[in-house]
Amino acid sequence: MNNFEKLQSNWKNQPGAGATEQGFKELLQGIKRVKDKQKITNVILAITAIILVFFFIYISGYENNQVILGLALMVGTLLIRMLLEVLSIKQLGKLNALSNYNDYKNALISYYKRRKNVHFIWTPAIVLGYVVGFLILLPLFKANLSSGFYTYIIISGLVSLIVLGIFIAKQIQKEMQEIKRLQQ
Amino acid sequence: MTPSEERYKEIYRDNYPKVMRLCMGYVSGDQALAKDVAQDVFIKIWENLEQFRNESGIGTWIYRITVNTCLTQLRKQKKHRTNYDIKDIPERHEAYSGEEKHQMLVQLYGCINTLSETNKAIILLELEGLPQKEISEIIGIKHEAIRTRIHRIKNQLTKCVNNE
Repeated sequence: MNNFEKLQSNWKNQPGAGATEQGFKELLQGIKRVKDKQKITNVILAITAIILVFFFIYISGYENNQVILGLALMVGTLLIRMLLEVLSIKQLGKLNALSNYNDYKNALISYYKRRKNVHFIWTPAIVLGYVVGFLILLPLFKANLSSGFYTYIIISGLVSLIVLGIFIAKQIQKEMQEIKRLQQ
Repeated sequence: MTPSEERYKEIYRDNYPKVMRLCMGYVSGDQALAKDVAQDVFIKIWENLEQFRNESGIGTWIYRITVNTCLTQLRKQKKHRTNYDIKDIPERHEAYSGEEKHQMLVQLYGCINTLSETNKAIILLELEGLPQKEISEIIGIKHEAIRTRIHRIKNQLTKCVNNE
C-alpha cells in the first residue's frame, strides 16, 4: 500500500460518519423547518406591508408634508433594504445544485458580484435616504420634544448609524473575501 | 411513510456516510458543522429527487449536490472554524494505532484545508475512490486535465501529511 492508499483507507474508515435512525428523524424535522421558515418569511413580509399601509394612512392625517416625507424616507429605505436581502437569499437558494461544480462555482461568483451592486450602489443610497429622512424630522423633534429627549435622539441616531456602518462594512469585507477564495 | 419517503430513507441510509465524509473534509473535521452541512445536502436531495433521471448514477448525482452545497456552506465555516495550522500538527510515526489513525486524519484535514476550493473538491472525491471519469463529470473539467491535476494534488497532499 503506498502512502496515498493508506490515507484513502484511513479516510474511508473514519468514525462518526454512519447513518442512524435518529439522524433520519432529525433530517425530516430539518425539511419541515425549511418549509416553516419560508412560510414565516412570507407572513412577516405580508404583515410588514399591511402595517406600512396603515401607517401611511395614519400619518397622512397629519397633513404635514415634512412629517410624511421624513417618515416615508426612513421607513421606505429600511423596507427596500429588507426586500433586497430577502431577494438575495432567494437568489442564492435558486442556484442550481445539480449542475457541475465549475458551473456552480461560476454561478456563485456571479452571485457575489451582483451583491457588489447592492453593497456599493444600493446600500449608500439607502443610508443616504435614511439620514435625509432623519434630518427632515429633526426640526420637528426639536419643536415638540424636551431638550433632553432631543439630545438622546441625536446621539442614539448617530450611534445607530455608526454601528450599522461597521456591520455593513464587515459584511462587504466578508463577501469580497468570499469572491477571492472562490476565484483561487 | 409514503413511497417517496421510503425511497428517500434508503438513499439517506446508503449515502449518508460518504456525504458526511466529504463534508468533514470541507470543514476541517468539525463534526457538528459537517452534520449541519450534510443535513443541508440531504434537504437539497429531497427537494430535487423528482428531477433525478438516472442519466448518471445516484451516487454521482449526490456527490455533485454535495460538493456544490459544501462550497456555498463555507460561509458558515468561518464562524466555527477549527484551524489546523500545518506547523501545529505533530510528526507522524510509521506504526498505526487508533490514536495515530486519528492523528493522521487530523493532519489530513489540515492539509486538505490548505488546497484551493476546486482542488479540495477533486481530492475529496479521489479519497472516496471515485473513478476519474466520474470526478471529471462532477467537477466539469476534461478527463485528461483531471488526471494530471489529481496526480499533482495527490503528491502535494501526501507530502503535506508526511510533513515533507
